[in-house]
Amino acid sequence: MTKPKIALYWAAACGGCDVAVLDTNEKILDIANLADIVFWPVALDFKYHHVEEMADTSIDLCLFNGAVRNSEQEEIARLLRAKSKVMVAFGACACFGGIPALGNFTTRDEIFERVYIESPSSANENRTFPQTLTKVEEGELDLPEMFDTVMTLAQVVDVEYFIPGCPPPVDIILKVVDLFASGQLPPVGAIIASDKTLCDECERTKEEKKIARIYRPHQIIPDPNRCLLEQGIICCGPATRGGCGVRCVKANMPCRGCFGPPPGVIDQGAKLVSAIASIYQSDGQEDINRMLEDIVDPAGTFYRFGMADSMLKRKSLPQGERRA
Amino acid sequence: MKAARRIPLMKKMLAQFGIEEERVRLDWVSASEGDRFAQLVNEMTEEIRRLGPFSGNGGKADD
Ligand code: SF4
Ligand code: SF4
Ligand code: SF4
Repeated sequence: MTKPKIALYWAAACGGCDVAVLDTNEKILDIANLADIVFWPVALDFKYHHVEEMADTSIDLCLFNGAVRNSEQEEIARLLRAKSKVMVAFGACACFGGIPALGNFTTRDEIFERVYIESPSSANENRTFPQTLTKVEEGELDLPEMFDTVMTLAQVVDVEYFIPGCPPPVDIILKVVDLFASGQLPPVGAIIASDKTLCDECERTKEEKKIARIYRPHQIIPDPNRCLLEQGIICCGPATRGGCGVRCVKANMPCRGCFGPPPGVIDQGAKLVSAIASIYQSDGQEDINRMLEDIVDPAGTFYRFGMADSMLKRKSLPQGERRA
Repeated sequence: MKAARRIPLMKKMLAQFGIEEERVRLDWVSASEGDRFAQLVNEMTEEIRRLGPFSGNGGKADD
């Protein structure tokens, strides 16, 4: 029997998802024994044209990490989709936009302005920006086009499975490999994690959820046994899917929400607004104002990983400037 | 009175999304204030008409 073929790709990603695959340590050799890795830019020297030459649906499993924010990533997502039987959004960026999708609070022009003009290390009096096409003596050079809006993988191509996490934990990666090897993958569309919320899986003591002040993580040394939210630290557990092993909270850090919304929650940020505002104790407008001051960056906090997947998806673009 | 805290927090967040503040309004009307209720709804309708339809965001341009 020929071995199944696996492809891995990174789009708008930090590399952490690829490292998570390598973190399977000696198990990576089992994966290599079990399957032929036919494309993996971070580790193997295959080029795009190798993928183009493959027959359609000849790749059995594609683990795609990273969000989609430029034309190259979109093109490769479509290419890998055509060549793969099973497409997996791997990691928070591919599933929900992740950290790159915080860029949806700005626009391409604003990002270029910041990076190429305003940043203290730039000296760019001629206002030179990257161009998609540049003519030089030898011919034309082209660069991918950056989009205004960062997208999830599923906003670009059909996706069979979602593995959340920033990055996905090793035990979930191994579980997926096992399910794949034994032909027991769940129904299409499944999110491979828990069906509970993180709070359901968290063992900290929970009493009455009431807070009178919000602390940012660096302003307080939290009690390692009590619910962090009850101590006034914004923990996204109530609006986050479980399955990560409660890893941040166990390290005494609040959950930032990288497993995305739990079943039944459409918009993670809206759910968090509701959850946090309801437990805040207020006697009047003054207290409400203090809460508003304490929560310095609600959108960035509540959609830290979920901006591209949220109902609003991005900051409004000025009229007439809508483009992909 | 959870709404009294949720709405201001949501408004602060919607401002970060560039959404006009006037699109969300929280007011208190008692069951006996029918006229005031009608007046508030009319004001809100006028306001939204002035702002025009909310344009969807993000995703593909052809969504
Ligand atoms: S999900 Fe996290 S680890 Fe993976 S690419 Fe995105 S930022 Fe990096
Ligand atoms: S809010 Fe955070 S600390 Fe509290 S129970 Fe939920 S996950 Fe645990
Ligand atoms: S605790 Fe929250 S932020 Fe940390 S890994 Fe789990 S889901 Fe992600």
